[in-house]
Amino acid sequence: MGDVLEVKDLVKRYGKLPVLDRWNLKVSKGERIVLLGPSGCGKTTFLKIIAGLEGYDEGELYMNFKSLGFVFQEPRLIPWRTVKKNLSFVSDDESKIKEVLKMVKLEGFENHLPSQLSGGMRQRVNLARALLNDPDLLILDEPFSSLDLPVKLKIMDDIVELWKESNFTLLMVTHDVKEAVYMGDRILILSERPSRIIEEITLSFHGNRMLDERFLKIEAQIIRILSSS
Amino acid sequence: MKTIVGLLLLLLVWEISALLLSSSFILPTPVETFKALIHELARIETFHAFLSTAWKGFFVLGLVVLLGTLIGLVMGINTAIYEILRPVVMVVQAVPVISWLALVIFLWGIGWKGPVLISFLSLLPVSIFTTAAGVRSIDKDLLEMVEVYKVPKRKVFKDIYLGSIVPFVVATIDISIGNVWKVVLVSEFLCGDEGLGVLISWARQYVDVPRVYALTIIAVVFGIISERLTRRFVRRLTRKWGMS
Repeated sequence: MGDVLEVKDLVKRYGKLPVLDRWNLKVSKGERIVLLGPSGCGKTTFLKIIAGLEGYDEGELYMNFKSLGFVFQEPRLIPWRTVKKNLSFVSDDESKIKEVLKMVKLEGFENHLPSQLSGGMRQRVNLARALLNDPDLLILDEPFSSLDLPVKLKIMDDIVELWKESNFTLLMVTHDVKEAVYMGDRILILSERPSRIIEEITLSFHGNRMLDERFLKIEAQIIRILSSS
Repeated sequence: MKTIVGLLLLLLVWEISALLLSSSFILPTPVETFKALIHELARIETFHAFLSTAWKGFFVLGLVVLLGTLIGLVMGINTAIYEILRPVVMVVQAVPVISWLALVIFLWGIGWKGPVLISFLSLLPVSIFTTAAGVRSIDKDLLEMVEVYKVPKRKVFKDIYLGSIVPFVVATIDISIGNVWKVVLVSEFLCGDEGLGVLISWARQYVDVPRVYALTIIAVVFGIISERLTRRFVRRLTRKWGMS
């Protein structure tokens, strides 16, 4: 499998304030990587660098993907445009819009305004928009932080299902240990700012993770690592 | 019901004040004024004056919204243009009506152009600054999303920039509709050749105070009705912006 992303000794500073301190990481095609770290450690900054929204100061970054989907922390929908118009803002492909709306289970809500949707539904539109260009790399920036648990679980399950069907590479950042264990095949644990990757955990689950007794053990292991860092 | 009580209270205070002053040169009684009002409403001259004031008001409002939005949009998008034009617009805003009056009288004499220009210049700065402020306060998160998905500029302009200014255009209309009639009446009074302002000016010259009050009532009622109707129409158009 080829690498979608390779990062070597990446350093990012805001003025004199160091944010990312020599990050090294490789992401292979089709992986589900979760970056787990405390708030303010530079997780979103890293995603912005990959999306081309921010530059970096030192190191090397190799990217090998054709298209990128970005699920933002907040839905970032145009409030005065319907669901369909929000999607056609990014792609004019009508059939693809229909397809992604079906994928995220929002058929029948095409003509609703964002204000007429629940928080979970808005986040699904955010996800649909990210899937429109058939992304090789799907980035998720703490997309569940504003959702309650049942909605969060449902959307997480849906994303995993979509990943199985489409086999894109998934790169998610979160500060929530449960989310990380639920979503990742590989979890990279980050320190406080200036952040470094301090630990890497590879997971292999079969079936429902939440019901697997190893879930809690891994969660405890990660909490121990975070507490001692 | 409360509105009717309020109006009755106003009439009562008016009647008592008129009785206390007992001078119809200063404050005629409601009865005298309403007699003058009925007389005015029956005259074709008043109707023509009313139409003249109305078209000027709507024309100025349309021009203010159109040009104010265009200039405000450009100023909001481009910081350099904003910095260059801001002092100019501020000066226009600060110039007293009387100075514009001198200018238009030298330029065109008495006529419709003077009231239109004076009203337009009085209201334009508010429209420009409101729109520019709207564009400058566009959600940065939306612009970041646009950058990630590399959305064409044409779409960004149409869906984000134009969409974002709608609430501010509505705010401009809200502010301007309340002021436009007053400004048009004053400028007609000062340099107009027809309109309610001109009739008020003539009534003042003949010291026909009840007529001044009657014409004022016509202007006030028309102002309130047009304000309400315009606001209702605009709000209906912009319901999806979550403003209603």
